[in-house]
Amino acid sequence: MKLLQVKPLSKEYLVKIGFLWHSDIDGSNYIADELVVLSKQEAKAFEDAANELYDMFVEAGDFIIENNLFHEIGIPFNLVDLIKKSWESDVHWHLYGRFDFAGGIDGAPIKLLEFNADTPTALFESAILQWAIVKENNLQESAQFNFIYEALLDNFKRIVTLSEDTSNFEELYEGWNFLFSSIKGNIKEENTTRFLEYIAKNAGFNTNFAYIDEVEFDEEGIYYQDKKYELWFKLIPWEDIAIDEPDLAVLLTSIVNNQEAIIFNPAYTLMFQSKAFLKVLWDLFPNHPLLLETSFEPLNKMQVRKPIFGREGGDVAILNERGEVLEEKKDVYGSLKMVYQEYVPLPGDERGNFYQAGVFYAYEACGVGFRRGGKIIDNMSKFVGHIIE
Amino acid sequence: MKHLQTLSHTLKVAGFSTFLLFGLNACSNSHNDSLQEPQAKGAFVVIEEVAPKKYKIKEEFPANETRIILKELNGTEHVLTKEEMDKLIKQEAAKIENNSSNLTNPNAQIENGGLSLGEAILASAAGAIIGSWIGNKLFNNPAYQKHRQTAYKSPSAYYKSVESFKKGKVSTTKRSGFFSSKSTKKSGFFGKFGG
Repeated sequence: MKLLQVKPLSKEYLVKIGFLWHSDIDGSNYIADELVVLSKQEAKAFEDAANELYDMFVEAGDFIIENNLFHEIGIPFNLVDLIKKSWESDVHWHLYGRFDFAGGIDGAPIKLLEFNADTPTALFESAILQWAIVKENNLQESAQFNFIYEALLDNFKRIVTLSEDTSNFEELYEGWNFLFSSIKGNIKEENTTRFLEYIAKNAGFNTNFAYIDEVEFDEEGIYYQDKKYELWFKLIPWEDIAIDEPDLAVLLTSIVNNQEAIIFNPAYTLMFQSKAFLKVLWDLFPNHPLLLETSFEPLNKMQVRKPIFGREGGDVAILNERGEVLEEKKDVYGSLKMVYQEYVPLPGDERGNFYQAGVFYAYEACGVGFRRGGKIIDNMSKFVGHIIE
Repeated sequence: MKHLQTLSHTLKVAGFSTFLLFGLNACSNSHNDSLQEPQAKGAFVVIEEVAPKKYKIKEEFPANETRIILKELNGTEHVLTKEEMDKLIKQEAAKIENNSSNLTNPNAQIENGGLSLGEAILASAAGAIIGSWIGNKLFNNPAYQKHRQTAYKSPSAYYKSVESFKKGKVSTTKRSGFFSSKSTKKSGFFGKFGG
């Protein structure tokens, strides 16, 4: 694969624009001073893959709803009603997600690893920082597959227009208040959330931010400092709400049933987020070129074992064809149901680093960025931008 | 591929270039503005004279201070002073005491003719606020509830009023503090939520 050495953005600049997690715990830079160089064809293939897969996810989602497969894909029972309800109506608009891919470089076929449909991060880096690097290095004449900011701006408007066309947003928007929430004490998540709020504000919404523990709920709505919010974005996984705060799951179900507020990303994105969904996809689209074989039982080939709701590579293990563990990231998800996914190597560079592509989707595929790390991409991985030659 | 864009194009997108310059701070000032609208303690009411000495409520909405605007038949408008309001409410209170108020009389026909000024004020949200000392005599009276609705100039004015005051209502059953244990526990740069 081809890499381009670039001058990194200074930490002062990153802090100035609100990007505070510029260094990892070991002090190393989180943003790589290199860019992945893609051909136009490679970039186009990433875009096409995400667009095709999203349609497949919607089809498989219908299948799960119609056949009541919630238990099979590990959905907590106390979210089933909310998922069904959110699936029924367009007002529960999917704001954005991120497909993680192996391959796509040096002729290796693109393969879906998973779809972060509920609470994707790496948004700020992909939307803003990789452009800033290009600008800093006077590479203005080059291109990027990156219109994440614009796509999100439009998709926020679609929450109101409910159609591809967003031109009548101002006419239809009735001043509904939009609250954005994350957990207190996690700067990475808070900045992702505040960045989304920034885009929503530019789209024309009345917005505000509040930590989740300060938000108030009753069956008639969602409030912060006695103001009611009709729209609420939470960068908090649905399964955490279901398991850690079951009372909140009950309240949110009432709020949505009573049409008091709309919650983003919608509850049905938890289906997409479940790794067990990948098994259903494989059943519905066997041997599809973008998919990897996935099963609830160990496979007789090199494979990756994943907890159905793990994050950042936690408790992911690479197993050989006999099911023996070759590499593993121990974490807190070990007790969850597991899926087994056929192993494909990630594209690598000469220094032994591996690269995973993250393609953002907001109504359409809208940009790509890379994470660089070991064979299992975890929370110490680096962000690497790209450029198209 | 329509989405291969050069930087010069992207910089034209409103908001994006501002972000590169100022980042999240570009919107942080507004946080203070939008932080909180104080809970409405009063009502802003417009009462219109629809026939000589007959009045209806044109519109009303929550406000910090209670104000009543009177639009008279001759087209003039004026704000009722506190003394005027108190006087009118006192007169109405006396009528309620001796059962001569239209508001508490179930047989009163006020749909077309409108109310007296004092009755209109009491029928409005302002009445509920400044006349609260009249207490249960008025507000628990079924005739009052019925006439209150007809005191509005149009059904939508009544509906709008009820809805806007509902929104300002503070429920006592609200729950908060979700994930607060997680909030204190999590302190590192890297959480597990990103995926």
